[in-house]
Amino acid sequence: MSTLIVISILAIVVLYLGLFKAKQALLPISVLGLVAALALAIMEWNSNAAPIFSGMMHFDNFAVAFSSICIITTILVFLLSKNYFEKISDNVAEYYTLILFALSGIIVMVSYHNLSMLFVGLEIMSVSLYILAGIKRKDFASNEAALKYFLMGAFSTGFLLFGIALIYGASKSFDLAVIAQYVIDRPTGIDPIFYVGLVLMIVGLCFKVGAAPFHFWTPDVYEGAPTLITAFMSTVVKIAGFAAFLRLFSICFAPLQDFWMPTLLVITILTLFVGNITALYQTNFKRMLAFSSISHAGYMLFAIVALGAASTNAIFIYAAAYAVSSITAFAVLMLVKAKTGSENFEDFNGLAKSNPFLAFALTVAMLSFAGIPLTAGFIGKFFVFNAALAQYHTWLVAIAVVNAIIGVFYYFKVIVAMYFKDNQTKQIATPAYFNFVLGVSLIITLVLGIYPSFITNLF
Amino acid sequence: MIDLVWLIPLLPFIGFLINGLGRNVLPKPLIGTIASLAVIGSFAISLSIFLTFDAAQPQVIHLFDWINVGSLSIPFAFQIDQLSIMMLLIITGIGSLIHIYSAGYMSHDTGFGKFFAYLNLFVFFMLLLVMGSNYVIMFIGWEGVGLCSYLLIGFWYSNGAYADAAKKAFIMNRIGDLGFLLGVFLIISTFGSVSFTEIFPKAAGMVSGDATLILITILLFIGATGKSAQLPLFTWLPDAMAGPTPVSALIHAATMVTAGIYMIARSNILFALSPVTLDIIAVIGLLTAVVAAFIALTQTDIKKVLAYSTVSQLGYMFLGLGVGAFTGAFFHVLTHAFFKALLFLGAGSVIHAMSNEQDMRNMGGLRKKLPITFLTMLIGTIAIAGLPPFAGFFSKDEILAHVYEHNKLLWIIGLFGAFLTAAYMFRMMFLTFWGNFRGTEDQKHHLHESPVSMTFPLIVLAILSIVGGFMGVPHALGGHHWLNEYLSPVLAATNNILPALSLDHATEYMLMGISVGGVIISIIIAYVKYVSKGYVPKEEELQSGISKLSYNKLYLDELYTAIIQKPLDALSAFFFKVVDKSGIDGLVNGLGKVSIEASKTLRLLQTGNVGFYIFAMVIGIVAVLVYSFIII
Amino acid sequence: MENITSTIQAVPLNHYILLSAIIFTIGVIGVLVRRNAIIIFMSVELMLNAVNLLLAAFSSYSGDASGQVFVFFIMALAAAEVAVGLAIIVMVYRNTSSIDINILNRLKW
Repeated sequence: MSTLIVISILAIVVLYLGLFKAKQALLPISVLGLVAALALAIMEWNSNAAPIFSGMMHFDNFAVAFSSICIITTILVFLLSKNYFEKISDNVAEYYTLILFALSGIIVMVSYHNLSMLFVGLEIMSVSLYILAGIKRKDFASNEAALKYFLMGAFSTGFLLFGIALIYGASKSFDLAVIAQYVIDRPTGIDPIFYVGLVLMIVGLCFKVGAAPFHFWTPDVYEGAPTLITAFMSTVVKIAGFAAFLRLFSICFAPLQDFWMPTLLVITILTLFVGNITALYQTNFKRMLAFSSISHAGYMLFAIVALGAASTNAIFIYAAAYAVSSITAFAVLMLVKAKTGSENFEDFNGLAKSNPFLAFALTVAMLSFAGIPLTAGFIGKFFVFNAALAQYHTWLVAIAVVNAIIGVFYYFKVIVAMYFKDNQTKQIATPAYFNFVLGVSLIITLVLGIYPSFITNLF
Repeated sequence: MIDLVWLIPLLPFIGFLINGLGRNVLPKPLIGTIASLAVIGSFAISLSIFLTFDAAQPQVIHLFDWINVGSLSIPFAFQIDQLSIMMLLIITGIGSLIHIYSAGYMSHDTGFGKFFAYLNLFVFFMLLLVMGSNYVIMFIGWEGVGLCSYLLIGFWYSNGAYADAAKKAFIMNRIGDLGFLLGVFLIISTFGSVSFTEIFPKAAGMVSGDATLILITILLFIGATGKSAQLPLFTWLPDAMAGPTPVSALIHAATMVTAGIYMIARSNILFALSPVTLDIIAVIGLLTAVVAAFIALTQTDIKKVLAYSTVSQLGYMFLGLGVGAFTGAFFHVLTHAFFKALLFLGAGSVIHAMSNEQDMRNMGGLRKKLPITFLTMLIGTIAIAGLPPFAGFFSKDEILAHVYEHNKLLWIIGLFGAFLTAAYMFRMMFLTFWGNFRGTEDQKHHLHESPVSMTFPLIVLAILSIVGGFMGVPHALGGHHWLNEYLSPVLAATNNILPALSLDHATEYMLMGISVGGVIISIIIAYVKYVSKGYVPKEEELQSGISKLSYNKLYLDELYTAIIQKPLDALSAFFFKVVDKSGIDGLVNGLGKVSIEASKTLRLLQTGNVGFYIFAMVIGIVAVLVYSFIII
Repeated sequence: MENITSTIQAVPLNHYILLSAIIFTIGVIGVLVRRNAIIIFMSVELMLNAVNLLLAAFSSYSGDASGQVFVFFIMALAAAEVAVGLAIIVMVYRNTSSIDINILNRLKW
């Protein structure tokens, strides 16, 4: 559990560094601290930890895996942040602090063993994100993003809490193990308020992961927030949301699959279609990524719909693939935006000529998003579909494949722009940090795509 | 020592990486040295494994789990047993010699680094092919060698005809690969595994003539016909002579083309239980052997003669497999590797000396100028013709003895092919090395024996061609057939099913006598025609009578164009215009249009208004509640 | 303490559930129909308090204190949310001179 402590202390230390105007030290210390936290997390792998803090949290392998992936992605985000925050604001330390606080909330979210910790983790993360989304105080888009996110987030939290309260009322406990036992002990005759609570929790969690019809905040907030924050939200936050979702359902509600599965199935299909079809007509690359993130949420929901032994693995692989590709996409987007000032598809024209490496990295990321073989995205989709097929959701997989084809269409739009459209642009200078992040993401994407075994048998 | 087995393929791969990346930077001698050392290193390890290996069971060296999907697990593992050890020795041993030879042969070529990178890559894939412990690894090697073959045939790609030859080789191989791949799929669905050590024991328990097994083996055999150039897919191999001569020696004579035979020998138990497939293999092999020999009789390009002779010899190997002489066929793979590599390298030495002249009508009388080349090639020719005690005699004789026992008619045809072999091979020797020099003055001026780096491999291979046969001296000649005993663990299950050779010694002597006698008569006929009468084939004579048929390769290429390519072109035009343009494009474009229209509409839902968003959310929540509690 | 518990239990549990549901719904409707960001925010707080009430009732009926502890969690985090939320509203007001949520619709489609 030292991971959580290290990250929390790190956040406070960084805040103080800002106070003492030690701006240069912010990035190195944050990254080093996170590396330490990552090492501490990995050391707990397979240690068969028991629930700690009076059963509040349980740092099991599931928690270690998802904490690690969230920490690694955060490190990548931080590496992209060099000189980025300085342009937006004078108080750079706050960014690092808030992201770190959000991350500590996320660690709680992926390792909770008590519904109160789910709530606390979720709120720590959300409150930090409300501020981060609106951190460009003079910018209308940022303001709007913050307000929309905040109002809808608070609203959805209400539903989540009401759900928790009802489940507590039925099972008389917030502890996941007790709730699970409550469900198992009563094959029939579960209190009806338990079911209502379950549905309301689905609503609350679906909001957090951006599933339709609770997705409306996603595109607006993603577009309005500073790009780096969007990168953080669409990767780390989304993964944490799924981890929390999956943890709750696999521990507590698995026996009730017949009850919640149809509902979630409809939500999944709706999410896939809304995300993919709306993304088609976008001209803004960042907004396209937002819709694409909705569709990816749909694919990940698949593994929850087909809850089974393989689900954790499927979501983990999918999340890893999705995170590295997103980071690449956002990194290239930031560079292009810094050059041209806007985020439209046309801004990518001729990138293959001026910056072949950027274009190649982005192409691989897009192929991975689209699920083309030899990229990590393919393996992710393969495992998710495989999990669904194992439960005989054949036609669901068919729908997903149709959606994957639609996805190819808009992902290739940017590849076409980069390689087949000409534009007299000069080379974009890429800082070493960016090249490092892009290289790491590229390698992970390809290695996972070609040799997935070292990650596929984790659980 | 067996722990180091992973180094065997890794060394050539490292060589490939170094030479591939440094091809424009490193000096030529260094490139040649690195490439050769990589393969020699592999040879040294293979040799030490050969010397220490004494397990009766195949040893599987598991490197890592590669693919795990559901119940199917495909490990990345190598299998070391007697069969793969012999192949390892051949590939790395002859590979080393050819690398050394190439350093001299290619020294004037601008693509020196690229050439060695490809050559190393080829060795790497070939090693994967023979070392893989399951069909999937084997398939990777199988495809990889096909790729390298393509790259090396088209090595001088600026020549359009060469590039076409490369494409032809690739496409014909792909046709065969499809069969192989389908066979592997069928194996997976039948046995639930791809590992040899799991499949073969299961298969051994099945009944002979099982329909699934027959289908599997036929599919695998289709794969083998592509890679090992059998009817009807053999026409690519003669065209493949467009590549540099060392490539022809290594890939298109000694190693890659024997992959099909290796694969069948590896799967021997599957084939032993499918008598129908064995009969098909025997007939196809025999037909290929005779047809190719017939074509070789009139070819004037020295490399083409050798190419057809390779096809013909591969035909004999398949004939051997078809009649159940797995040891004999594999024995012939080994001896053939020695003398055919020797002959190709010798031909390369001749071509080198003749300033890239390949037409034998412009050669003649080279005996004096190229003494080492002449002597070594003569040894190779005697070996392939099958005169005792040279290597080819023992292996070919073993195959023919099995054929005789199996079916007399096949034996007569096979024997006839063997006589043809002697005839066309000595025709080649006589045209090249006897008589008067028929080339230009300029060429005469340049005639020279090749450098040591080229003659050294020739000498080594010549020695091997002389003594190579002694590893399989039959009991009739007082030997105890070492190779048969060595390979017996691999073939144990098959030997229980198929009857052993049961000819008495007198019959064997008779068979040997007939074949040796026929061969000598063939040689004398060739001598009279090409040396005593000094006959040199002329273009118009080749275009008349039965020669015309042979010289034009039985018009097989034209036949394929007429019955396969043209209908396919027509079909593809139909598919393009009707099915694709209006059907599939219409469907896809339609789907695209519908999606885009939907997108235009759907995105308007995203009004930007928080009030509406919250409203939509509440509607969604109500819908979810209603759906959960009322509808279901 | 004994007193309070018995006082709470004087009302049947279902009534608490019903009351909370009604208050919660009022909150939801408030969020739905109002345009003023602050009032929406207050309605959200109403929803949270409905939850608090429900938790307290459950807690006392089941004799388990953890429900009441959870209420404190909710209060603390709601306070944090209020602080951040009001700051955001103030920030928006400075830029647009309005706290009508419908003014903010530049990000769309």
